Amino acid sequence: MTNSKKINKKDIGGLLKEWSQEFTVFIPWRESGVAMLDKWDGTDTGFIDWYRNTVKPAKANFFPPMEEMFRFQKGREGYHIELPLDEHKQLIFGIRPCDARSLAILDMTFTESYQDPYYLPKRNNAVLIGLGCLKPYDSCFCTSLGISPAESTDVDLMLTDIGDQFLVKEITQKGKELIARASQVEEATEADEARAKEVRKAAYGKVTRRIDTKAISEKLLSCFDNQDYWEKVAAKCISCGICTFLCPTCYCFDINDELVKRQGARFRSWDSCAFPIYTKMPMENPRVEKWRRVRQRVCHKFEFYPMNFGTIACTGCGRCIRLCPVNWDITQTLDKLPG
Amino acid sequence: MTSVTDISHGKEFLARGNVYLPHIVVIDKIIDETYDTRTFHFNFKDEKLREEFTFDSGQFAEYSVLGIGEAPFCISSSPTRSDHLEFTVRRVGRVTNALHRLGVGAEIGFRGAYGNSFPLNLLQGKNLVFVAGGIGLAPLRSLIWNVIDNRDRYKKIDIIYGARSPADLCFKYDLDTWDEDKTVNMVTTVDKGDESWTGREGFVPQILEQVAPSATNAVAIVCGPPIMIRFTFPVLEKLGFTPEQMITTLEKRMKCGIGKCGRCNIGNLYVCRDGPVFTYAQIKGFVSSEY
Repeated sequence: MTNSKKINKKDIGGLLKEWSQEFTVFIPWRESGVAMLDKWDGTDTGFIDWYRNTVKPAKANFFPPMEEMFRFQKGREGYHIELPLDEHKQLIFGIRPCDARSLAILDMTFTESYQDPYYLPKRNNAVLIGLGCLKPYDSCFCTSLGISPAESTDVDLMLTDIGDQFLVKEITQKGKELIARASQVEEATEADEARAKEVRKAAYGKVTRRIDTKAISEKLLSCFDNQDYWEKVAAKCISCGICTFLCPTCYCFDINDELVKRQGARFRSWDSCAFPIYTKMPMENPRVEKWRRVRQRVCHKFEFYPMNFGTIACTGCGRCIRLCPVNWDITQTLDKLPG
Repeated sequence: MTSVTDISHGKEFLARGNVYLPHIVVIDKIIDETYDTRTFHFNFKDEKLREEFTFDSGQFAEYSVLGIGEAPFCISSSPTRSDHLEFTVRRVGRVTNALHRLGVGAEIGFRGAYGNSFPLNLLQGKNLVFVAGGIGLAPLRSLIWNVIDNRDRYKKIDIIYGARSPADLCFKYDLDTWDEDKTVNMVTTVDKGDESWTGREGFVPQILEQVAPSATNAVAIVCGPPIMIRFTFPVLEKLGFTPEQMITTLEKRMKCGIGKCGRCNIGNLYVCRDGPVFTYAQIKGFVSSEY
């Protein structure tokens, strides 16, 4: 008798079908070669064979690129304001440990002082089914941030690929109840658990890129005013902002209105510290120079967020390295910080 | 003055519990301060909120013309005069232009009050030196009226206020009242006068040096364009003010007003949440000079 369950890979479709009764199920999906989380079509579970990680992180399911905050109508009595109803319950199948951790990091921002009225209901209504990452990318460095690619406690259930089956570890009460109702699940044996342990260990060893977080926190503040260094590392950045949009922990946003014939809406949308307009005021702009913006991004993640919340706002998912059009590499920037 | 962690100051005025949802307020009066600056007097549409709403001098709010957008401005009236609220806007961008197109009776969105405030407990029993330039008088004006309405709690009051030209002076009606007030030393200056100008000429920091208020048991409260603030601090230091005796309020692009949208940070601090009121001692201790 073990503490884990297991499920045959060929039964995943059936399991997702059961869960579809209660939840909108999201799985890794590929369109034109780009992997992202998308609504399950009810049949295809092919991702099991090709999935490494999605291009767009799971944060987009909770903090969408663009979201209606409220809509309004101007009538004789003045404005009538309506809030959007968001009651859909999402089940995300296959979230990687790095992206699950990023949600725990975002929770800190969205619960500090004020409860975010858009992010939190989505979070509270969601179920996360983690899937261990067995083929990390060269750009991944999650292990330096205290994350194991095939283990997570930031999810409700954690799955590990043990061949023809997934081993299922119950992490939360919510996950436990969910798996208790599933019909295709069986008890795992001690041999299954031993196999999963090997798989997890092997996955950990495959993450070879590293950063030294202790050295970084010691050096970052002292080299904050080293303009030469920041100008050098910022030189090739083209301020496209893709590193911030695809970063699972970046949360900066803008608020804008739209109006068509007395009816309108206010939207929250992703914004980026890479853009000079982000900080622009009518008469001044404190971060008009590119090196200041690059410094802001690095220092926010590795110095300011830890000062405010006690944790680094990076999960080592490597997206900002893999997907940068000019191959800017944050690990190199952090590695070569002058003392 | 420590940084503020409970940014709501224990006072929650959230519309339907949603921090991003604006309250509707109605403009009751519009005053042309200068050719490009207007003061709007307004009140909550909701009667209950009219009674209950409170704020402190130095706090700001997010004002919106629905359909155009939202922008932060300080509350320029004093909490001691609570029959209505005021804010003052210079016409420079999309939202400010839309605000200037509004007439009396127009409804706008209001979220707030946000940020910390001037430390009244620290100012009590002190000589106060107000140094302001242009529209920078708006946040200080809230404090000045607050102090005048509780005159016996404070000692000497000096107000040094300047603008680029006589046409750029804001709150002329207040300047006249303070000038007539025997308990206040009101000094008005312009960078360059015109034919009809009979008052002082000169930049605010220079005039401050001439007026030379004593630093003994005093606090200086400074607000104006960044260039004026940068030249005022050294003059105050020369007059013997310590960085702890100098207070200012900073301006940044602030979209959310509650330390979330990210853009108004100076190091790990957010001007909207941990400020906008800071001592010069705090500013000197900032990680970054990006203010």
